[in-house]
Order: sequence, then structure tokens, then C-alpha cells
Amino acid sequence: MIQPLRKTHRRIFLALALLLPLLFLSGLAFRHSWPTPAKPRNSAAPPLPPAATP
Amino acid sequence: MSHQYQAIGWNRQKRVYDVVVLTGVALYIALFIGFGALLFPYATAETLIIRAAGSAAFLLLHVVLCIGPLCRLDSRFLPLLYNRRHLGVVTFLLGAVHGIFAIIQFHSLGDKDPLVSLLTSNQNFGSLPDFPFQQLGFLALWILFLMAATSHDFWLRNLTPPIWKTLHMLVYVAYALLIGHVTLGLLQSETNPVLAIATGTGLVTVLGLHFAAGSRERVVDLKKLNPAGKGFVDACSVESIPEKCAAVVSVSGERVAIFKFDGKISAISNVCRHQNGPLGEGKIIDGCVTCPWHGYQYLPETGASPPPFTEKVSTFQTQIVDGRVWIDPKPKAPGTRVEPSRISEAGVSS
Repeated sequence: MIQPLRKTHRRIFLALALLLPLLFLSGLAFRHSWPTPAKPRNSAAPPLPPAATP
Repeated sequence: MSHQYQAIGWNRQKRVYDVVVLTGVALYIALFIGFGALLFPYATAETLIIRAAGSAAFLLLHVVLCIGPLCRLDSRFLPLLYNRRHLGVVTFLLGAVHGIFAIIQFHSLGDKDPLVSLLTSNQNFGSLPDFPFQQLGFLALWILFLMAATSHDFWLRNLTPPIWKTLHMLVYVAYALLIGHVTLGLLQSETNPVLAIATGTGLVTVLGLHFAAGSRERVVDLKKLNPAGKGFVDACSVESIPEKCAAVVSVSGERVAIFKFDGKISAISNVCRHQNGPLGEGKIIDGCVTCPWHGYQYLPETGASPPPFTEKVSTFQTQIVDGRVWIDPKPKAPGTRVEPSRISEAGVSS
């Protein structure tokens, strides 16, 4: 009665052990490289006054 | 055990279990939202709730999945198993909170029906980084709902244990879907390595524990017993069985629990009728074999539960020869009385 369940369980985990690490690693490997905000060329430049147009 | 429908058969252990679980979840949610609001002041309340509930559900699902193999590896974890179904229901409720708030936040402000929007707004099935991860979470939530809705003994009896067990094995499908949901959703936009490491550690822990427990069980299943006389097989020595406990052997592809009690030996099927719990890992309490999972009881001589309960398991004929327990591999019909073998000083009995 319990052996078929054990067999199914074993097969499910074999499949998960192959599939999930593959999914996880490919998900990380192929993820977007999100743009990072560029640093200002001159960080010492004074900030613009409020409502001023550059 | 119960012989009639009862919403929940509350007892002290269940109450303590639930109080601990609910307190832990409430504490986690409060800390997550509190620290989240401090560290990310621009995050909306909905975003914090979505993330708190989602991460709590994901974490709790890992706990649920680890309890089974942990109990196989070490019996000290058995108290966690006793009320595991309540953990599963809490996991579903947290997942539902996550899902409902996510649908409100991301799909309820347009012209489309929110559910239609959820299922159709992203169709990039061919792209991993743009994959419609929300659909994966939605499907996983449906599976968790099915399991939560049928997690009562009423459904276990009506569906029968094999169908109920098969249905509840869908938890592994839900887990796979949620790994996809997290990897192709959260981990695509959040590049903090701690999140990826935590998800990877959870995955390795779940898979590792299941494989460790599975290989240990396989050793028992593959151990072949030597044939003895009269069609019996030599199962184990009388001395190797602790008093009021059992030795578990695999006979004809199924497990048999051989109990020693009050100078006698009896053998019954190792599989509890309730949830297939391992009877051989239980003890004899008040003259009954008591399942370590939920306390279902059987008389060792007959394999039947004491009245008014009606559960029955198979029994096996035994003999004691030269201090060894012989067992007939052919099971008797569930509930059939088999006279226990008496342990005599000469070490021979029948």
C-alpha cells in the first residue's frame, strides 16, 4: 500500500532535484542587468536652486 | 482518532501548537513591516504587506516540507508533525493575503477584470527574465487552497487515504511553481544577493533532507530476509526489540511492525489507516499500538482499533525459534486475530 507512494515520492524528488536547481540558476543567470544611475561628472558642483532649469 | 464528524478535535497540544504558530507568524509580519517601513520609507503599505505575507508563506512552506523528512531522520521532531495540517492552512492563508493584495495593487486599476488582467497582461512565456511569474504564483495558490480545503479527516475518509495522499503530493508541484514565482519574479528585480542565497539555501535544504530520509528508508526496504522453515522468514532477534516497541522489517514489499510486549510478540502492518503513519515507530500504550503521528490505536493481537473505532490493519503469524522471530510473509485480512507468540525461557514458542 505504501510502496507505490514511496516510489512516486522518490520519482517526484528526482525530477525536482533536476528541474528546480536548473530553473533557479538559469533565472539568476539570465536576469536583466538593471541600469544604475550615472554618477555626476563633477560631484563638487553646487546643487541647482529649486525650480531652476538646467 | 474520531468516528464522527467534528470540526477540529481540539486538545491541549493542538492549542499550544497553534498559539506558537500564530504568534510566530504575527511577530514575523510585524517585524517585516516595521523594519521595511524604516529601511524603505518610500514603500507603500500594500507593498510591505505583499512582501511580508508572501515571504512568510514561502518560509512556512519550507518548514512544512522539511517536517516530514526531519521526523524520519530524528523522532524528536515528531511533535511538529502532529498538527502539520494547521501549518499548511496558515501557509495558504498567508499566500492568499499576498495574492489578494498583489491583485489589488497591480491589476485592479485598469478596465479589465483583475483576474483576466492577471492571466493575460503578460504573455512572454518564451523569455526567462520577463516570464509571467504571477501566473505561477496563482496556480500554486490554487493548489494550496485545494490542500487546505481538504486537510480535514472528513475528506481523508471520504476520498480514502491513497487518493487524499496523492492529492496532497501536489504540494511538491506548488513548491516547484513557487520557486519559479520567486526566481522569475522577485529575484529578477531585487539584485541583493542575500535574497538569492536565502532562496537557494531553502531549496538545497528541502531537497537534501528529502534525499537523506529517502535513502535511509530505502535501506530498510531493500534488506532481504532469510527464509526459515514452514514458509516463514527470519525477521529479527527477540532481544533486538525493545519492550513495548517494535522492529520494522520489509516483507513481500510491504513493511511489518513486530511488537514485543508483556512477554509476547505480535506482528501487524506498519501502515496506519489514518495517514499511512509508521506504526512500528510508535509504542504500546494502554495495551494498544499507538501511531506516533496522530495517536491512532490498534490492538496488537487483532490489528483492530478498540471500540467504538473501526480502523483495522493486517496481522501476521509469528513464531519464536532459538531467540529469533519468524514471520509468515502472507498477511491476514485486516482485523484478523492472531495469537501472539510467547517468549519462553527456552526461546522456542509458537
